[in-house]
Amino acid sequence: MNLDDDLATWAATVRLPDADAAAIFQRIVAAPPAAVTGAAVAPVAAPPAPAASSAAPQLDPAWWRGFTAGFTSRMVASTAPVRLAA
Amino acid sequence: MDREAEFRRLYEAHRVAVHAYFAGRVGDRQSAADRMQEVFQRAWQHRDKLTGLPEDGQRGWLFTVARNLSVDVARHQRTADGTQRALEHESAGPQAPVGVPASTAVIAAERAAVVAAAIARLPEQQRVTLTMAAAGKLNSAEIGTALGVPAGTVRYRLSLARRTLAEALGDYDDPKEGEQ
Repeated sequence: MNLDDDLATWAATVRLPDADAAAIFQRIVAAPPAAVTGAAVAPVAAPPAPAASSAAPQLDPAWWRGFTAGFTSRMVASTAPVRLAA
Repeated sequence: MDREAEFRRLYEAHRVAVHAYFAGRVGDRQSAADRMQEVFQRAWQHRDKLTGLPEDGQRGWLFTVARNLSVDVARHQRTADGTQRALEHESAGPQAPVGVPASTAVIAAERAAVVAAAIARLPEQQRVTLTMAAAGKLNSAEIGTALGVPAGTVRYRLSLARRTLAEALGDYDDPKEGEQ
């Protein structure tokens, strides 16, 4: 066996089986939009939500990271010891 | 074509690559599948925009989301030992190909375990790149687009990783050779 064969054997153990991938796909398309976006629950085969709904604010992790970083900075700044006037 | 069918085409075109990316990052198949699902859930939310993009654009969008998710992954990432255990566990029982003698299958499994252990010890950039190439079946240019690095950098990382694996397998094939 050469390295490519060994890598192919290893890759086969890492790759997601097709059945698992299909199950994940079904979970994604069956999930009600309200679970993530807060929009009204729509049946799977329903027309897409209106643009206004899809553009509604979401609990985006990136937003939370920015918010948390800003909040932390403000907290640290506000609790820093104040130098007393001599 | 209905929207679910369009999204299915997008999913099938990119799921292997996205899963391979996370497999390289987190080290085990199931955690990678969970992360992959998160990426495609977001893609599903933005399917109207995404399905209209060319394949490169779709891949760029998906991997931007994947890299952002990886920041969270990194915060909860297992220790190097945990990752190694997970990879070794994943490779503990590769299935023997039909019609292959048992001794050959055992050797293949042992070599796969050596490869898995060596991959787990690779620096993360090399591990992710190699996993995307081997398990994701992406070429250097595609990996570069996904990771936001030049294709030459991808090839260099792959070269380093393959050299490390070759050395590990060399030690396995001939332990005395490594001691000389």
